[in-house]
Amino acid sequence: MSRRTRLILAAGVALAVVAGGSGVASAMIQDASAQLRASGQVGEQADGYLGLVGSAPAAVRAQVDAVNIKRRAYYTDLAAKRGAKIEEVAATTACELFRTKVAPGQYYRLPDGVWRQRDAAPIPLPAYCG
Amino acid sequence: MKRSLLTLMRCDATQGAMRRMKILLAAPVVLGSAGCVQVSAPEKPIEINLNINIRQEVVVRLQQDVRDLIKENPGVF
Repeated sequence: MSRRTRLILAAGVALAVVAGGSGVASAMIQDASAQLRASGQVGEQADGYLGLVGSAPAAVRAQVDAVNIKRRAYYTDLAAKRGAKIEEVAATTACELFRTKVAPGQYYRLPDGVWRQRDAAPIPLPAYCG
Repeated sequence: MKRSLLTLMRCDATQGAMRRMKILLAAPVVLGSAGCVQVSAPEKPIEINLNINIRQEVVVRLQQDVRDLIKENPGVF
């Protein structure tokens, strides 16, 4: 095996490792918020961010923070595009998440600040949600 | 005479360096403790203001964009 062939092989292996790693990472990220909601330790808030229902372990808190930072970035981006306030985009998103993403048994928090567990019925949405 | 003056000057310089060293040594301590304050996780969850001040027409205007945003980023929403 020539030196060049070995070099190419090594590069190929390195690339495969990197690709495999990022595949795992993106699979983990793929349903991060869904998994957090399903854990029962995290719920959706009317302000458009995930919140901790009780006292959660540091690992959960870190995941919530990571998701919320990304949300904030998306809200900021969309708000700038549509000439709206970040809070308006965030609140609108919360309406939609309450409607479509919070499953029965999962937690949500309306503007009254109280954590509630969704039952079989849809979440009673705030009037502004339309 | 000339030599002792030089020695004196060198000594001065050493003391100056020592002083600078102390400051340099103290700086990370100050910076380090400031860093600790920022990094340490709060005992209680951060209070989030849930007072939503938004009109329904704004929600209606943003709704489709928001639906697309959620659909395109399943991990984040």
